[in-house]
Amino acid sequence: MPDRLKKTFGSGLWLMGRAAPLVLFGAVWQGLASSGLVNRDFLPSPISVAAAFTDLFSGGDIAKNLFVTLFRAAAGLIAGAACGVWIGLMMARSQHFKEYVMPIVGGTYSLPKSALIPLFALWFGIGNATAIAAVFLACLLPMIVNTYHGVTTTPKVLVWSAQALGTTGREVWSRVYLRNALPDILTGLRIALGFSFVLAISAEMIASTNGIGKLIFMYGENGAYDYMFAAIACVVVVAFFADRGLVLVTRRLLGWHESATAEQGRRRA
Amino acid sequence: MLDLVRPKIDIRGVSKTYASVDGPVVALRDTNLAVNEGEFVSIVGPSGCGKSTLLYIVGGFLDADGEVVIDGAPITGPGTDRGVVFQEYALFPWLTVRNNIGYGLERQGVPAAEGEKIVDRLIGVIGLAGFENRYPRELSGGMKQRVAIARTLACDPAILLLDEPFGALDAQTREIMQDELLRIWLGTRKTVLLVTHDVTEAVYLSNRICVMSARPGQIIEEFVVTLDRERPREELVLSPEFNNIRNEVWLCVRRQALVAGQQNAGPS
Repeated sequence: MPDRLKKTFGSGLWLMGRAAPLVLFGAVWQGLASSGLVNRDFLPSPISVAAAFTDLFSGGDIAKNLFVTLFRAAAGLIAGAACGVWIGLMMARSQHFKEYVMPIVGGTYSLPKSALIPLFALWFGIGNATAIAAVFLACLLPMIVNTYHGVTTTPKVLVWSAQALGTTGREVWSRVYLRNALPDILTGLRIALGFSFVLAISAEMIASTNGIGKLIFMYGENGAYDYMFAAIACVVVVAFFADRGLVLVTRRLLGWHESATAEQGRRRA
Repeated sequence: MLDLVRPKIDIRGVSKTYASVDGPVVALRDTNLAVNEGEFVSIVGPSGCGKSTLLYIVGGFLDADGEVVIDGAPITGPGTDRGVVFQEYALFPWLTVRNNIGYGLERQGVPAAEGEKIVDRLIGVIGLAGFENRYPRELSGGMKQRVAIARTLACDPAILLLDEPFGALDAQTREIMQDELLRIWLGTRKTVLLVTHDVTEAVYLSNRICVMSARPGQIIEEFVVTLDRERPREELVLSPEFNNIRNEVWLCVRRQALVAGQQNAGPS
């Protein structure tokens, strides 16, 4: 077999292998729904969900709401990530700043941020501001913690080498500390990305007139579970591709890092 | 021009105290050392005697009491006049071999075309042609240290500060690297300050060997080495002159190591 064909065939097999558990999951679900063991009103079959899915998309309504949700998640994520990196860096730079911020970070780290959504709704009203604030806060903390860790674990000899090679004052932060922290920052970003979807949708369920979260909530309230599942599936697909995209970017940016060897090795094997 | 009056590096009354959980630890006490231009001076001593600390102070990385004067001017921090090579290589893991070597040139504003030429020449010198675009994680220890030395040499510093540069290498690679360093030094006659715990290495490479005492560190004895550097390693290392001086230095270090051992065993 020619090499290229072999490769295509191989990756086809690989894809089938990856998809098999999903197919099995769908089959079991369909079987369960068709068998009548569970009430169809409570657990719609994958086929009726698929029908609802196509119906939603043909209306164009879902695309609009999906766009709203994505905007909220992205705005909160970008703002939270930028501020998180800055705060993490400042904590590493200044002992004073760290002493002030550390207890707040430690105290709020494990707090479920969704608990604050009603409060945000009171402050910022129904809509974008509340959702973005919730996403922002949820993304902020993992970014702070990971950036701080990455910066403070920079080997001293790297900083010293850079200085002896003519790197001056502030440049050291961008050329050495932040570069060294990049793997940790990207780890934080992946965690934050997950949080951004969770919080955007949670906020929409509680305090919004639109967005996928609102749709899910509404269909759930009205007992249109096939449509509810279709909306959820929509989020699952988008979140999956967003995560894959970030993993690809990370792999590209961290070709130099030790973790790259393991990844490449696994892919070759 | 060679300055015969003023030493290149003048370490004057340098003391350093560290804070530790058991209270302050005096690492260096009133250390003095003058290194002339073009000289290769080694500092040997028992582990923990503060010899690396002294090198970091000369590098401008650590603050200390007393002063370090380079070419007549007291240092205020790290500078490009002093190139440093560390035991743990300290290459930037996110830069390729080429970009690591070119880093200092770029920082110091050397025009790109000129920088390229210097980097290409150094890659040839260290024998890493073909590895230009590799990242440090893909290199062996010896290769990494070659890159670290090339990175330091690229900026052509007047002074080389070497902190146990071959300590992490296997015995065979270490000897090859020592020969390379010797060749580079013979070719450039830079002022070198080498910290090592390997007495044979110190005798093989330096003009002068300073032995440091157990903590608090002080230079207690100096040995001048007048061996013919052009002789091949086998002949030199097996010669009685080499072994006489090696034994003398070794005994001196050994005495200090025993003192250091007692310090560590006793109540601290």
